[in-house]
Amino acid sequence: MREFQYFARNLYWYSATILTAGLFAALWLIQETAFAAAALGITFLSFVSNRALTRRVEKASEQKRHLDQQLIQSQKLAAIGELSSGIAHEINNPLAIIGQETEWIWHLLKKDSLPSPEADQELRGSLQEIVRQVDRCKEITHKLLDFARKKEPLIQKADLNKLIEDMARLVEKEATQNKIRIVRDYQQDLPRVETDPPLLRQVVLNLLNNAAHAVEKDGTITISTQESANNTVELVFRDTGCGISKEHLDKIFDPFFTTKPTGKGTGLGLSISHGIITRLGGRISVVSEVGKGATFTIELPVKPLRGEP
Amino acid sequence: MPSSAKVLIVDDEERFRITLRKLLTANGLETNAVGSGREAIEELKQQPYDVILLDVKMPEMDGIEALAELKKISKNVEVIILTGHASVDVAVEIMRLGGYEYLLKPCPMDELLAKIESAYERKTARDERLRKAEATPTNPSS
Repeated sequence: MREFQYFARNLYWYSATILTAGLFAALWLIQETAFAAAALGITFLSFVSNRALTRRVEKASEQKRHLDQQLIQSQKLAAIGELSSGIAHEINNPLAIIGQETEWIWHLLKKDSLPSPEADQELRGSLQEIVRQVDRCKEITHKLLDFARKKEPLIQKADLNKLIEDMARLVEKEATQNKIRIVRDYQQDLPRVETDPPLLRQVVLNLLNNAAHAVEKDGTITISTQESANNTVELVFRDTGCGISKEHLDKIFDPFFTTKPTGKGTGLGLSISHGIITRLGGRISVVSEVGKGATFTIELPVKPLRGEP
Repeated sequence: MPSSAKVLIVDDEERFRITLRKLLTANGLETNAVGSGREAIEELKQQPYDVILLDVKMPEMDGIEALAELKKISKNVEVIILTGHASVDVAVEIMRLGGYEYLLKPCPMDELLAKIESAYERKTARDERLRKAEATPTNPSS
């Protein structure tokens, strides 16, 4: 009986232990399963929401691309609109003068069958004016053609110090007569740049010419070249001229924008320069204040990226 | 042209001013010409004009700004805008400021003369109405 009691007590303890262990094991299992299920659920949910998010991002990117395209298109249209109205103005003025001179010639011819010496003089004057105005129109249309014709740049390695110096000498002759000093600050070991030398020459000449006009008399044009970060070179043209007002600065690279008197400038020089520098993979910028001169900076890559220009 | 309108030409293109003046004078009009909006304002302060031919794109002061100032000096002067620059916005602004007509360069001389004539008629009719209104004694009962 004692043995039986001993056995029963032991069995009780064994069972209790096993049951407790089983309970803990079951609890542990339930917990782990719950954790695993929760983790699985979270993974699934995050997968689903990630997919939805990805889809939304893709859709947003697509919409952005579409909007960007629309923006570019509308900017292009706006540019064409501005350009057309600029062309209309620049061409209509000489046309109006041609029309008037022709009317005056008719008037003189109606009056006399054989023109008097004074009328003859006036006739010649009117004809000369017509030729002058036709030349004015021709200059505008030729520059426009240059502007429109995207000449494919022909890339060659060039020493930009030499390229700029050639143009500086060209401008210097006239500049010296107006007591304008050209100061050079070239970086001697400037890396040779892969670019289109004739196109770049056109830009440099345009900037130096503008600088000389801005200075007019008694001033300085400083040209500096230097290598800068990201494998680029910087060409800086600083003048001590009249400077550019804040409202003009925004329009300085716009086609037909000019501060020169009517008939003296077409307002295409800087916009052509801007186009060339962009095609050469670079950037052109200006800093100026009225009465404090202007600084034009060209940044050019030493080696243009592929597809650029 | 039967009228003898007094016309002021305002344009920064010198040759345009010279030849247009000769043509208008040859057509019996009394003319004068200046090269900027500011000069036009000074000129109108000095003497009256019937019709002003005004360019839009001029340095310093553009035609729209000048038109507003000219109308302040002489409300009755008729202003014809003669411009190489066609823009609906500009035309609307000009009409709002009391501009009489908006012509695009190059404009045939016959058309310009007809516009000047019609502007002058309007100016004289308005002057006449103003004179009558001033001459009519005001009714004390009203």
